[in-house]
Amino acid sequence: MTRAWLLVRKDALVLRRSPLLFGILLAYPVAIALLVGLVAGYSNSKPRVALVDEDNLPATVVVGGKRFHVDRTIKEVSRNVKLVRLSPEEAQHQLRNGRVVAVVTVPPGFIATLEGMVKSPKLEVQLSHGTISSRVDQQVQALVYSLNRQLQRAYIDTNLGYVTLILNGGKGTFLGSPIDVIGLNRSEQLLRRMPQTHDVRVLEDFIHDARLALANTGGALKATAHPIQIAHTGARGRSSALSAEVQANAIALTITFLALVFAAGSLAAERDENVIGRLVRGLVGLGQLVWAKIALAAALALVLGLAIAVAFGVIIDVGRVEGGEPWERMPLLVLGLLLAGGALGALGALLGALAREARSASLVAVLVVLPIVFLGLIPAAVVPPAGWASTVLPFTHAVSFFRSALFDLNPWAQVARQAAWLLALGGIFGGLACLGARRLLV
Amino acid sequence: MSGQPLLTARGAGRRFGQTVALEPVELALLPGDGVALAGPNGAGKSTLIALLAGALQPSEGRVERRKGVRVGWAPQRPAQYGRLSARENLELFAKLEGEADPEEAAARLLADFDLPGAPKPSANLSVGNRQRLNLAIAFLGAPEVLLLDEPTAALDPEQRLQLWERVDALRDAGGAVLFASQHLEEIERHADRVVALRDGRLVFSGTVGEYDRAETDNLLA
Repeated sequence: MTRAWLLVRKDALVLRRSPLLFGILLAYPVAIALLVGLVAGYSNSKPRVALVDEDNLPATVVVGGKRFHVDRTIKEVSRNVKLVRLSPEEAQHQLRNGRVVAVVTVPPGFIATLEGMVKSPKLEVQLSHGTISSRVDQQVQALVYSLNRQLQRAYIDTNLGYVTLILNGGKGTFLGSPIDVIGLNRSEQLLRRMPQTHDVRVLEDFIHDARLALANTGGALKATAHPIQIAHTGARGRSSALSAEVQANAIALTITFLALVFAAGSLAAERDENVIGRLVRGLVGLGQLVWAKIALAAALALVLGLAIAVAFGVIIDVGRVEGGEPWERMPLLVLGLLLAGGALGALGALLGALAREARSASLVAVLVVLPIVFLGLIPAAVVPPAGWASTVLPFTHAVSFFRSALFDLNPWAQVARQAAWLLALGGIFGGLACLGARRLLV
Repeated sequence: MSGQPLLTARGAGRRFGQTVALEPVELALLPGDGVALAGPNGAGKSTLIALLAGALQPSEGRVERRKGVRVGWAPQRPAQYGRLSARENLELFAKLEGEADPEEAAARLLADFDLPGAPKPSANLSVGNRQRLNLAIAFLGAPEVLLLDEPTAALDPEQRLQLWERVDALRDAGGAVLFASQHLEEIERHADRVVALRDGRLVFSGTVGEYDRAETDNLLA
């Protein structure tokens, strides 16, 4: 039994003797993971959009003979945004102070233009400034898309009515005026009763071709409205709450907090208890002491990470959710947890050596955890400096490792790359912690 | 008091940044030596003891230990794990010291130092018990040299007596002791030589009698 192993056992015993501290170390990161999840959920919640009605929208509108209940229609099409009716002044005020993210204005004459069905009425959209304006723009576009889908059938039905009128003839209205159309069928009958001259036969051929073409107009109009259609074949994947991203991030966030705080606090505590001098005078080297902390941080990360993975696996099994390899990939996850826990423990040990006192070290570790996590959560494509910074921190590599280990069909290349990163970072931070640990002797 | 030194400081000094905690010191502990380290607070006594124990590395000079010699060290502030009991502390350090039978060594020292065997965290022990545990740990590993920093500060008279009996036994067996103390009576009774420090400098090295005279003549001020 090596001396470093004796210290690992001692720290495990001390942790067991401190149920409150241990409980907080376990519960706090889980709580943070949940809160981050809630915040992520909130970021997907409906943005508040003002609806300014300058056209005095009626309760119902008839378009192409189809009756639309305005409020019901608005409710149906605004699933991704929360529409609130406001006066123009109030809408502008709330747009300026950020209470609404966009203002959609129904201008005067909108309904009349819509009912005319000759040209497209326009909705006026104002967006807030800032990073989410593009997302709001997409959601407003989705709102208008949904509205257009509701109106398309009425437009198509109306246009098909005109086609039928041209084919069969009869009475109808156009731009509000009554019309009487002879129709292609009746025209053909009239031509047959006429002397069959060359000109008459040319006209009969044209009418024949026109009837064939117009017979397919319905399908063509629908195809024009939907060049590409989406066929929903049933939900088979995981819900967003159980997705690869959530699981990988939850495990990584939890072990980041645990490993950093534990390693930082426990290394500095050796100085607080005045024991470090006793240890380093030939019993245990500073390097052994640092690696003992890293080893226990890795072990704790393994236990907690596996517990979370097992919890996810059970939920997935019980819920018969497909996707991912919850059980088959556990051995690979074990490797990732040990490497990530070790790298994070090494970073924690470095913080502990620099802070020197257990309380300061724990506080510093807590303060450092969240920036590390958030740097890793920011997409590198959106904020490149955040990506560069997170590359030299273990969190991002831990997430990538876990995601690939648990969900990729062929995880080996990615896992090997991230394992190399974690090993390298662990070695660098561990080496720096060994050097920094000399400060604990002062 | 003959033979090769068990422990020697050869120009060993220590700085903390720009602050000189201990200027270079020459000191040798011979078999059977009883050396008292005297001086006011902040004189550098604890730094010299920590250097000799190997708990601190000298900024200049070196500390030499005769091959195979084991050193026991009791710092002024008890050095033990507060969440472990007295027995667990002793067993852990016995294992680290390489005791053949750590459990037996721990049980023996618990009895010798009259320490509680109950599984009570040592942080909850009385000041005297914590100091006795601190001293007991120094006796693990069968040391030939003892370095004790104000060892009797929190001990009652009977416990002091027991401690010095153990120290004297170690000296009789060819070991050596260096202890820091503020008590002249203790120095006179348990030391052959006195080394005095002031402001990080060695200001006196001689017999107890010479030290008495120097103190009386106020030469060390």
